[in-house]
Amino acid sequence: MTEQEQNASAANPPEHIIDISGLVKSFGDNVVLDGIDMSVSRGEVVVLIGPSGCGKSTLLRCLNGLEPIQGGSISLHGEPVVYGSKSLYKIRQKIGMVFQSYDLFPHLTVLKNIMLSPIKVQKRSKEDTEKEAMELLERVGLADKAKSYPSELSGGQKQRVAICRSLIMNPEIMLLDEITAALDPEMVHEVLNVVLDLAKNGTTMMIVTHEMAFAEAVADRIIFLDGGSIIEQGVPSEFFKRPQTERAERFLKTFTYSK
Amino acid sequence: MKFTKMISAVFAAAAMTLTMAGCGNGESGSTPANSNAQSNTSETSSASGSFRTVDQIKESGEIKIGVFSDKNPFGYVDNDGKYQGYDVYFAERIAKDLDVKLTLVPVEAAARVEFLETAKVDIVLANFTVTDERKQKVDFAPAYMKVALGVVSPDSAIIKSVDDLKGKTLIVVKGTTAETYFTENAPDVKLQKYDEYNEAYSALQDGRGNAFSTDNTEVLAWAKSNPGFTVGIESLGSADAIAPAVTKGNETLLKWLTDEITALGEEQFFHKDYDETLADVYGADETYKENLVVEGGKMDTSSETASNSDKSASA
Amino acid sequence: MGNNFLRLLSGLWVTVRISLISIAFSLVLGTLLGAVMTSKNKVVKVICRVYLEIVRIMPQLVWLFIVFFGVTRLTGANFGGETSAVIVFTIWGAAEMGDLVRGAFQAIPKHQFESSLSLGLTKPQMYLNIIFPQALRNLLPNVINLATRMIKTTALVSIIGITEVLKVGKQIIDANRFEFPNAAIWVYAAIFFMYFLICFPLSMISRAIVKKQQRSE
Repeated sequence: MTEQEQNASAANPPEHIIDISGLVKSFGDNVVLDGIDMSVSRGEVVVLIGPSGCGKSTLLRCLNGLEPIQGGSISLHGEPVVYGSKSLYKIRQKIGMVFQSYDLFPHLTVLKNIMLSPIKVQKRSKEDTEKEAMELLERVGLADKAKSYPSELSGGQKQRVAICRSLIMNPEIMLLDEITAALDPEMVHEVLNVVLDLAKNGTTMMIVTHEMAFAEAVADRIIFLDGGSIIEQGVPSEFFKRPQTERAERFLKTFTYSK
Repeated sequence: MKFTKMISAVFAAAAMTLTMAGCGNGESGSTPANSNAQSNTSETSSASGSFRTVDQIKESGEIKIGVFSDKNPFGYVDNDGKYQGYDVYFAERIAKDLDVKLTLVPVEAAARVEFLETAKVDIVLANFTVTDERKQKVDFAPAYMKVALGVVSPDSAIIKSVDDLKGKTLIVVKGTTAETYFTENAPDVKLQKYDEYNEAYSALQDGRGNAFSTDNTEVLAWAKSNPGFTVGIESLGSADAIAPAVTKGNETLLKWLTDEITALGEEQFFHKDYDETLADVYGADETYKENLVVEGGKMDTSSETASNSDKSASA
Repeated sequence: MGNNFLRLLSGLWVTVRISLISIAFSLVLGTLLGAVMTSKNKVVKVICRVYLEIVRIMPQLVWLFIVFFGVTRLTGANFGGETSAVIVFTIWGAAEMGDLVRGAFQAIPKHQFESSLSLGLTKPQMYLNIIFPQALRNLLPNVINLATRMIKTTALVSIIGITEVLKVGKQIIDANRFEFPNAAIWVYAAIFFMYFLICFPLSMISRAIVKKQQRSE
């Protein structure tokens, strides 16, 4: 589906998966997101970068209705995402989310972790689900771990399984929240390769990461957040070579070293 | 956290006073369910577990008597599961004379008063020593047994009088009447004190002391099963009365028991009780018998000094 | 030796009966209490905490006195010995159980809830499939531990006139104190063995669960 979609979106006005306008989020007096306007089109990979505490992760959590918001609106395919609303359960099925912390269910095997929500939420048949789950595991190179428990996996393997667990719901968009931040360096690669593969296949994604090289490789668009606002955005090649703002430039400098 | 701990400590303390200390001061506002109009002891226990009069007991066809179930030979359960002992023998007679069925309730020393205060039994016949403190909480009928101090020593050097003990070491258990008695009356006897009875007996067997003193019933029974030791002093100090107890204010039952004990005295019932239940342990020797048995509620030793004993637990 | 062995067994049955009924009540009430204890309401929290502390601070012996004698004294209501014992051990068991349940739920990381919801599970589905199974696994060894503690503590009930296994043992020892002064060792050995027969399988189950847990954690 993806190639055609992308071709189509080149001709027609791009189909928006996510629309955010005037989003305000605060914890008490602390305003974390201060009027965010943005949208994500089908097949697009948007990478959010910015200094710690700039609100990137909070933004993803708001998109999934895990946090109440204090102003503005979020919609998925035109359907409003409202914290605590009944429709949230429906909407969340279309949003896949992977967290920084390993969040597999420890009492279920890898396979059961992946199969749980298609069967319980989407009422799909066990046979179909298992078949698809095995295909996904194959794709991330973990078919042999299907019967293992999460405790028997490395961090990188856990995150790959978590990705499969979200993908099997056929989400409209994947939200990846610093999924390599807790990993040992040698495992970062195996996870990010899976994400790159997803991007190649046209999966719509919003990614929060501190891996700049990865961001440059995977993103269609970089959004630089600081102090709760979008400071700058653009295609990676432009952004990383010639940031338009002084703040972005300063931020990027923190990743380069010279003697 | 500290705060809640304090609150709960206060609650706990309150509840403990309520139950453990008994309610001899009538702190609860509840009134007894039955109207014992003739009772003059109105300032005492407002126990709402209402006691049963003699008529009520007869009417119900059953009397509940609290006895020990592990104090051989006074109240115990034999190898066939049957209650036996000096107290039980008496309890059976009471039921027979009231013409009712006997239900024996096993009680522990620490809960005897409570069983009466809440009228869960009609009578307690559990080696219950009469003390002033207990008299505040329950009513005692006349005595049917008495207990004094005894002194046991090795056959090789039998102690026969307090004079024999001068300058020697006497083993006692802390908190018993024996400790009090010798501290007050025989300052020239060296006391060696132990927390537990079995420690004290081991000390005697090991020769760490010249003799051991506690209730005569206890030492007599012990010497009986430990050859090589003899009770040289069978009765020392003022005897404590052992008597049946009823719920405070249960005058009809108290009167019935008083009459019963007087009547039984005429047939020398408790001598027979001794022969049946205690002779195996203490021997048929008349002096032993007279040291323990009380007939018709008449104690020959003055019983008014019984108050200084603080033996809440065993015999 | 008469029918002493049968008497010990029937004493054991009294012990087991009181413990099992109390444990069953404690499981049900404790689970409810545990759910209440996870409440964020401060007043509810304080009340639960005070209840738990009171129950813990007071020895079970005192509770037995309160329920068996105190209640009669104050209200005239007369509970039987076994009923009182079950009430006391349920009051205690439910409090401890409640705290275990609370602990088991609070030990579940927040992201377990969040990732369940992210997958589109409804709250009932989340509790049923994700939270309860994990809480139960944390809980089981502790519950079994509590159960064995309760079984052992029932030895106290002789104070309110119940003849459970330990009391039967004391009766047997005492009945034979003149003929067989050393009977105590053998009787206590028999009782020890009986407790062991009941409690050992429970600890084995608990150990097996812990082992399984280590694998999947």
